[in-house]
Amino acid sequence: MSGIGEIRQSVIGAASIGGLEAYRFHLGRSDIPDRERAWIYCQLSEALYHQGRRDAAVECARNAFDLQPEKEEIANLCAWVFSNCGEHEAAAAAYERLLAIRPHWAAGHRHASGSFAAAGQLERAISHGKKASDLDPHSFEFAFHAACLLEVTGRPEQAAKYFIRAAALDPNDAGALRHLSAILLTLDQSEQAVALALRAVALAPADRLNTLHATELLLRSSRYDEAAAIILDVVDIHGEKDPVALRLLSATQMLRGLTQDALVAIDRALALSPQTTEYHLHRANLLHRLGRLDEAAEAFGRAAALDPSNPDPKRSQLTVYFDSGRVIEALAIGGELMRTSPDNEEYARTVLQVLHRRLEMLDTDYVVLGERPLRRTRELRPQPTIFAALQTQLRVIYALMMRETRTRLADSKLGYGWALLEPVLHILMLSLVFAVMMRGRPPIGDKFFIFYYTGIIAYHLFVHSSSSMTYAITSSGPLLQLPLVSTLDVMVARGLVEVLTDVVVATILLAGFFAVGLGLLPHDLPALSASVVAVSLFGCGIGLINAAINSFLKSWDKIWAQLTRTLYFCSGIFYVPGMMPDWIRDILAWNPILHAVDWFRSSFFSEYEPHWLDRSYLAILAAVSVAAGLCLERGLRRHLYEPL
Amino acid sequence: MITLEGVSKVYRTRGGRKTVLDNVNVTFESGYNFGVLGVNGAGKSTLLRLIAGSEIPDFGVIRRYARVSFPLGFGGTFHGALSGRENVAFIARIYGAGIRGVLEYVENFSELGEYLHMPVNTYSAGMRARLAFATCLALDFELYLVDEVTEVGDQRFRQKCAEAFRDRMQRSDIILVTHNIHTLRQYCDRGAILANGELTLFDDIGTALGRYQRIVQETL
Repeated sequence: MSGIGEIRQSVIGAASIGGLEAYRFHLGRSDIPDRERAWIYCQLSEALYHQGRRDAAVECARNAFDLQPEKEEIANLCAWVFSNCGEHEAAAAAYERLLAIRPHWAAGHRHASGSFAAAGQLERAISHGKKASDLDPHSFEFAFHAACLLEVTGRPEQAAKYFIRAAALDPNDAGALRHLSAILLTLDQSEQAVALALRAVALAPADRLNTLHATELLLRSSRYDEAAAIILDVVDIHGEKDPVALRLLSATQMLRGLTQDALVAIDRALALSPQTTEYHLHRANLLHRLGRLDEAAEAFGRAAALDPSNPDPKRSQLTVYFDSGRVIEALAIGGELMRTSPDNEEYARTVLQVLHRRLEMLDTDYVVLGERPLRRTRELRPQPTIFAALQTQLRVIYALMMRETRTRLADSKLGYGWALLEPVLHILMLSLVFAVMMRGRPPIGDKFFIFYYTGIIAYHLFVHSSSSMTYAITSSGPLLQLPLVSTLDVMVARGLVEVLTDVVVATILLAGFFAVGLGLLPHDLPALSASVVAVSLFGCGIGLINAAINSFLKSWDKIWAQLTRTLYFCSGIFYVPGMMPDWIRDILAWNPILHAVDWFRSSFFSEYEPHWLDRSYLAILAAVSVAAGLCLERGLRRHLYEPL
Repeated sequence: MITLEGVSKVYRTRGGRKTVLDNVNVTFESGYNFGVLGVNGAGKSTLLRLIAGSEIPDFGVIRRYARVSFPLGFGGTFHGALSGRENVAFIARIYGAGIRGVLEYVENFSELGEYLHMPVNTYSAGMRARLAFATCLALDFELYLVDEVTEVGDQRFRQKCAEAFRDRMQRSDIILVTHNIHTLRQYCDRGAILANGELTLFDDIGTALGRYQRIVQETL
């Protein structure tokens, strides 16, 4: 037996009887050439396939293809067997063989593409798929297949081209429209995408994928109510077994502000698919929105338990705990977050915030004022009027004077004793010295004490006020911290205390002189008062000026003390200017204190009326000095007092 | 309500001129507690003294539509040689308050007992602070200026101060200077940041604290 025709006839004949032994017998023969053997394997493979023995069929096809891959007939049959038996790689190889022989075979490219795609070789699948559609652009299936491949591999522009081709070939195919819609969405043509999706729904209203897709697109374009209309229909039909539709319904209701309905929908979805992390997360967010914080925290906890590798549910759970004041739980979650994601800065900051809150709660030194009631708004207090301001100032000066007198009493042992002792010592000393020199006769009158008294009191009225005001500001620094106390108040109070003290001392001394029988009443009480007022004002005016000078020249108070000592000799305290030569008296007459002493003295001694005495000179100087002092205080207020 | 209109304040220091406020226009509204934040030396205490009126601005006007306290936490107005009572009486007299009522309150609150009759010189710093705090509370101000006062005194007295303050805050406002963030958060609902002569107000103390922390970090 040698002719090919014979062998084939024998094989076909044997096969037609029914057994497969004939194939085996011929294959077992050693005198059959390879091409015949390949043919027999093909026949056997087909027969085995029809008998349902797929593994054996594939085995035979492999043998045939190995023996003679270049023959079209063999490759064709092998490709058919392979692809039908799920041997996609082998099928793809066989189709490639065939395409090498028939390169313009569109269906072949489509088959090859399918096989490559099934074998996971997407690049080659795409190249064949595109070829198939390009070779036969009128095939809807080819275009759709190529487009889907391109879509899957993330090439939306090319995919769009083939989907458009497919849609043009069959404008009523909802699937193609839906795919095209999805592609357009990724290409940022959302309006067209929505239009196509809606058309797809109109073409196939019962198709679940179409409706879900359309709902999603409508939600994205904020057309919530239209989305709701579609998804509610879907849920009516598929609701009992479609968690995805329920999830979409929940999202739709949430976006429509129907949080309660959204919660119902997601609960139904979770009943169908309790293991989906995302559903739990969504539900937790809804509960958070509804203010059901404890349930939200629990839901986040469930989501975290389902997906331990994702820290975000934990992060959300922490926020809910924190918001609901469960700081300790929040802190525990924070610890877990720090352990699982130690490098996440946002988490670290959140945990720090929780720690701060915890610290505040631990800080028992202070009363937590979280429950502080809202205060009612208070009437605005009007700005003080000039009258009110003056009243306040008088009150402050009075308080300062009270304080000043008390301070004096408290400051030293002698206290006010010194105020009394000082003029007494002066008078005694002068009386003693001059009683000897003048042989018992004072310059005026017949009483030494009263003569020197008249000099010393007027002199002290000036010196005490002007000197003490010099350092009034520096010595009452802390007082000036009190907002109501101004530098002027302090100085005025000081000056007034000095003047009043001197007046009281003078009165007591005079009473004392009467007590020992040496008293003398002033003959002109109004003149006495006028002189006291004039010299006091002058002293206060100079005191204000001194304070201003002292703020620039810190040793001014010492210089002033020297000047007052000089005045002691120039003011006619222990003499009358009439005893001096005229030219000396003319010079001394410039000294306002000389006039003060003589004014004061002349109100005691009726016989004493010196022609050089110019009362208006002192009065004008007093007025001018007070005015100048006030101006200086006003202008230098900031300079006068600068707290450290 | 306190308004600052075009207020400037410059200090001459050994290191040169230091601008505390530079043409500041702000309004501290009534009904809110303000916490003042600023780095050391920014002039927070000076700001308080300006608001109180203890110091006069170089330019501009500060209007006070409320009875403003002297800066609390400052016991320096007391005269050492005078007794606690005499000092309190002086302050009461200045503010035109009934001396007897104020003294009674101070006696009860300060718990100084017989020390009130002793010269303030003999007091410890804590006792001085008690006296100052009690006096300030006794005077029923509408706006309290507080400069780190809660840091003084023992813990029990601090608690007492906090409670008294909480009570007082139902009708009075405070402007508070402190470095203690917890104190700020507890007492204040609004914030102010003083930096480089600028005074910025915030409607929320949290925001102010956040901003302040950023400023501190930047300067570090």
